[in-house]
Amino acid sequence: MATATLARERTYLPVAVTTLGLDSAVMTTDEPHAVPQHLVEETEVQLDAVASEAEASETEPVVDETTVSEAELRDLFESQALPFMDQLYGAAMRMTRNPADASDLVQETFVKAFAAFRQFRQGTNLKAWLYRILTNTFINTYRKNQRNPYQGTIDELEDWQLGGAESVTQSISARSAEADAIDHLPSSAVKDALQAIPEDFRMAVYFADVEGFSYQEIADIMKTPVGTVMSRLHRGRRLLRGLLAEHARESGIVPDAASTATMRGRGRKAAATAGRVEGKEAR
Amino acid sequence: MSGCDCSKAKAELEEFLHGELCREDAADIREHMEGCPDCTSEHRVGVVLIETVRRACKETAPEQLRSEILARIRVEQATH
Repeated sequence: MATATLARERTYLPVAVTTLGLDSAVMTTDEPHAVPQHLVEETEVQLDAVASEAEASETEPVVDETTVSEAELRDLFESQALPFMDQLYGAAMRMTRNPADASDLVQETFVKAFAAFRQFRQGTNLKAWLYRILTNTFINTYRKNQRNPYQGTIDELEDWQLGGAESVTQSISARSAEADAIDHLPSSAVKDALQAIPEDFRMAVYFADVEGFSYQEIADIMKTPVGTVMSRLHRGRRLLRGLLAEHARESGIVPDAASTATMRGRGRKAAATAGRVEGKEAR
Repeated sequence: MSGCDCSKAKAELEEFLHGELCREDAADIREHMEGCPDCTSEHRVGVVLIETVRRACKETAPEQLRSEILARIRVEQATH
């Protein structure tokens, strides 16, 4: 039974060897079901089971341990997975907020991914698989050490409790000015604003807007229903927009005359003081 | 008309921006925006937000990280 599973998974490895020269950039993210949930969940089990499986495979004649040597496996991993290092580091920076921890996190991620790489199915979404391991590693290693009073409750807050932009009340010209202003903000201001929104929202925004993952892929990575992903993403972007608009107004990128309800006082503190009642500002 | 009004367009704008709508729904939004400067301006803010975040979050890992990872992987392999 166990050997049957093993053999099935091992049959993917010869393909791996033949695709060695393929650029990992061909890995598309527009296949929402490229990483089925069961595969993602298997990863965790595999991370633990990988050592014993490697032993078992030595007694299994049909598996292709012989066709893919340890050295070849490593070459394959280095050519396919390592090109994602900068991207994973970018995500790790948004998670840990500092370069030293981000480096450690990325390193741990690659070590774990390599240990489980024989179980990775060639042809499925390697990028999403790596991000899944990154997210897991972050939660298990780093989040424990961080104070995060919002964990578990942030998704339940109502929109009015969260604050953020109120685009509905904006005029076209104000919105146009807002877009120009956001466009001209320095990266540091954008990163600060991202850090100011709740972690789950921040990472949903990061996965969608920076990495271009589909809602389904983000759901697999964050291990949460698609509906929750949508909610986190929309709320995260709304908060972010409010913060950026506020920043633009404060730094004079947008003249006060062009600023509107979106830009007034609904930014920085909104995320930090969720729960505060605030009257709607009429325009 | 395909029956797409401002409230539908605004409600589905986020999904539209992230390419999550089916072709027909996306076409409806596009068609609506052609005649609606209000929704178009809202769409533009959304696009700018995505681009701004993407630009700001571009990172390059420290140079030594790659060699550290390669070394770690070799150690892992040797001990298994």
